[in-house]
Amino acid sequence: MADHAAAHAVHDPNIGNTGLDNRKVGMWAFLGSDCMFFGSLIGTYLAYKGKSISGPLPHEVFDIPLTSYSAALLLASSLTMVLALAALQENRVKTAARWLFVTAMLGLHFVLNQVYEFTTFVLHHGLTLSTSLFGSSFFVLTGFHGAHVTGGVIWLLMLVTLAMRGKLDARDYTKVEIAGLYWHFVDIVWIAIFTVIYLIP
Amino acid sequence: MAEHHAAAVATHGGGGGHATVKTYINVAIVLAIITAVEVASLYVPGVPGSVLVISLLAMSAVKFFLVVGFFMHLRYDHPIMRALFVGPLIIAIAIILAVMALFSAFVLLPRVVL
Repeated sequence: MADHAAAHAVHDPNIGNTGLDNRKVGMWAFLGSDCMFFGSLIGTYLAYKGKSISGPLPHEVFDIPLTSYSAALLLASSLTMVLALAALQENRVKTAARWLFVTAMLGLHFVLNQVYEFTTFVLHHGLTLSTSLFGSSFFVLTGFHGAHVTGGVIWLLMLVTLAMRGKLDARDYTKVEIAGLYWHFVDIVWIAIFTVIYLIP
Repeated sequence: MAEHHAAAVATHGGGGGHATVKTYINVAIVLAIITAVEVASLYVPGVPGSVLVISLLAMSAVKFFLVVGFFMHLRYDHPIMRALFVGPLIIAIAIILAVMALFSAFVLLPRVVL
């Protein structure tokens, strides 16, 4: 049986001439391009920093404890994601599904925190996309990151659904690994945003 | 189960070894500690601005590479995967520096006063 599995793997259409899984190569290429996308948004934010001619200013609106909590949520979700992957590798599908669900819920919590933050900025501080250079560069950068997290949550919940229907097992390791790569990417982007936008005075 | 595992490893496609669960948890603990130090450093009085900025960027870089290296398995992965990510990452950093230079946003570069 193991020979059969190995033979099946040799003829796997997802393995390209390089011997690498095309789906994984594609995901790394996408993440590389997304790096440049976020690089341009972060560069624009920094270029505009301190050049707004009207308020409110960053230090007047940022809630560092809330944002730190959100950062902790995403870091924790990265751990639960790799735990899901490790469980699936050992074909413990139910455990993997549980960790994937926890990861999705941590991501959802992050998104809800961001919705609360944006609402507070708009309603309490009068900061919108068109208020100032700070408003436009901040909302575009963090909004695109939030959209990435939202997409990741949907992807994870789809994997959980597949697992619950019995359509996910150790053979689908690469599917989950690719979702994990995407999820960790939104985490590392937040690591950069958290420091550059929120923490650096 | 053994064949499932064999298939999973075979279809993994280019990855080397992976970290253990214990390593993942250790990395997560280090990430949590660094994040706590980052936030706490904001509330320490008397720290010069340049020291604070450089230390925050350094701690952020350590967190970044811990996640990429261990959680994304890049330190165990094929060199092609590393090239696909690190190449554009260098370009992204160049974009940030170039845009900042274009808008005279470098606080470290002295401006010429005529």
